Amino acid sequence: MPLLELGGLVARYGAANVLKELSLVVEEGEIVTLLGSNGAGKSTTLRAISGLVPNVSGRLSFAGQSLIGMKPEAIVRLGIAHVPEGRRVFPGLTVRENILLGGSNRRGIGRRVLEAETDEMLAFFPDLKRLEHALGWTLSGGQLQMVAVARGMMAKPRLLLLDEPSLGLAPLIVQQVFRIIAEIRRRGTTVLLVEQNAHMALSVADRGYVLETGSLLVAGAPAELWSNPDVRAAYLGGKTVAAALG
Amino acid sequence: MSLIPQLLFTGLGIGAIYALVALGFVLLIRAASVVNFAQGEFSMLGAYAMVILSGALGIPYLIALPIAVVLMAGFGVLFAGATYWPLRHRGQMPVIISTIGASIFLANTVLALYGPSPEVLPGLFDTPGFEVGGVFMDSQYLAIMVTATVMVALQFLIFEKTLLGKKLQATSQDKEMASLLGIPVALMILITFAYSAALGGLAGILVAPVLFVSVGMGAIISLKAFAANIIGGFGNIPGAILGGLSLGVVETFGAAYISVPYKDALAFGLLLLFLLVRPQGLFGEKIAEKA
Ligand SMILES: Nc1ncnc2c1ncn2[C@@H]1O[C@H](COP(=O)(O)OP(=O)(O)OP(=O)(O)O)[C@@H](O)[C@H]1O
Ligand SMILES: [Mg+2]
Repeated sequence: MPLLELGGLVARYGAANVLKELSLVVEEGEIVTLLGSNGAGKSTTLRAISGLVPNVSGRLSFAGQSLIGMKPEAIVRLGIAHVPEGRRVFPGLTVRENILLGGSNRRGIGRRVLEAETDEMLAFFPDLKRLEHALGWTLSGGQLQMVAVARGMMAKPRLLLLDEPSLGLAPLIVQQVFRIIAEIRRRGTTVLLVEQNAHMALSVADRGYVLETGSLLVAGAPAELWSNPDVRAAYLGGKTVAAALG
Repeated sequence: MSLIPQLLFTGLGIGAIYALVALGFVLLIRAASVVNFAQGEFSMLGAYAMVILSGALGIPYLIALPIAVVLMAGFGVLFAGATYWPLRHRGQMPVIISTIGASIFLANTVLALYGPSPEVLPGLFDTPGFEVGGVFMDSQYLAIMVTATVMVALQFLIFEKTLLGKKLQATSQDKEMASLLGIPVALMILITFAYSAALGGLAGILVAPVLFVSVGMGAIISLKAFAANIIGGFGNIPGAILGGLSLGVVETFGAAYISVPYKDALAFGLLLLFLLVRPQGLFGEKIAEKA
């Protein structure tokens, strides 16, 4: 049984179908990347998985359990942590408080254990220990991304959903982020990674899916995707541009 | 008697009431984006609850007070269920209108039950007060100041030191993200409503011996809470406290040096002045970033 399975998933915002019968699977222990151009529906896929899109139908299951109709609060307790687009670090809370909150809703966890785990997490990420008491709104993009990932990991998830972690970061920081993603998987967490930076994403992923306007364009191993002309086209902004470029 | 320290004492006393109500008002703005026009009605209902409990039922003051406050917390949850919950996905305006409706409904319900003549609610102390260095320390104003200080300190402790406080803050800053972390957002919002109503009710009970208990007190207190919030900076917690205190002081000095009947108009005047000259309020600039 795959850890995560989407079968014919349809997601709607109002009358618009944003995901049109999307099917994909993520096996335990994998890094799977979800690629696609702006507006393809990558974020919507992650949001549907974590319960943020009210209007979904089709099959959506995690470790054999259907997630349809479940609230985000309950889904995270099943073991899915979502690090959303834009990082969404609480601006008026400190780095430490942000990270602490990530683990605060696991069942039966005491304050002391939580504080200790927060210390470990602060030590695992570059820079964070030093910034422990800085408020969210004072951080740079790279720092925000580290806090957001650390906060997500505090839920001790089986599956980590990452939405464009490299967006707006300097190349060196991007490499740092991807090293952390690889390390997270090495420690046993499965990762579903949404990216615009196809090159970096395919370099760490085991498999990838490419979305185009809410449907699957192609799926396959990184090398296959990388050499696929449709994928290249998707990243050059669509077929017309690709055709123009030859 | 020295007039200026005396006025300052009285002003801070009444200002502490405004600060308490404004605090409850701001918490709802931050947690649920609800601008509650029935905030003053919480105070009116708290005072009437006390009239029933300690007046009609004869329960001793110090027992009746916590009962009334707990009842008000429960009322806060009902209030959320009636005005906020059904409209929570429709944006801010429908909820505002529904709180205005609730304030009219509550005032008229009490009017129908108790009539327009004010009730008298005694304070905790029999002695009216004592004099220190030419300033008459009214015992009720002292009780107000002490209670307000304790409540503000308590709230600070809860918000800054407990996990619940962090979750409440997270909810007020980004509800969707809070839900992704497993924070029960709906519960956090209900807790805020309960606390806000309890705070308003407590303020109403404390101010009752000074003001009388009447149907009209709700509207006046709502106006003061609103003004305090604009003066301090919309949605700003320290601003609400400082705004409430300054409003009390300005109003008291205005009543002494300008005219007593224009006391409430002064709150309006100050409100307008701030909206025109410094719409971001005393603490306004920082909140845009702190969210
Ligand atoms: N809340 C919403 N209401 C209505 N339409 C939405 C909403 N969110 C997204 N959409 C639409 O759904 C489509 C897919 O959006 P989505 O954010 O999932 O794309 P994406 O692949 O993540 O794009 P990007 O790379 O820009 O982040 C877009 O056409 C977008 O306009
Ligand atoms: Mg997106």
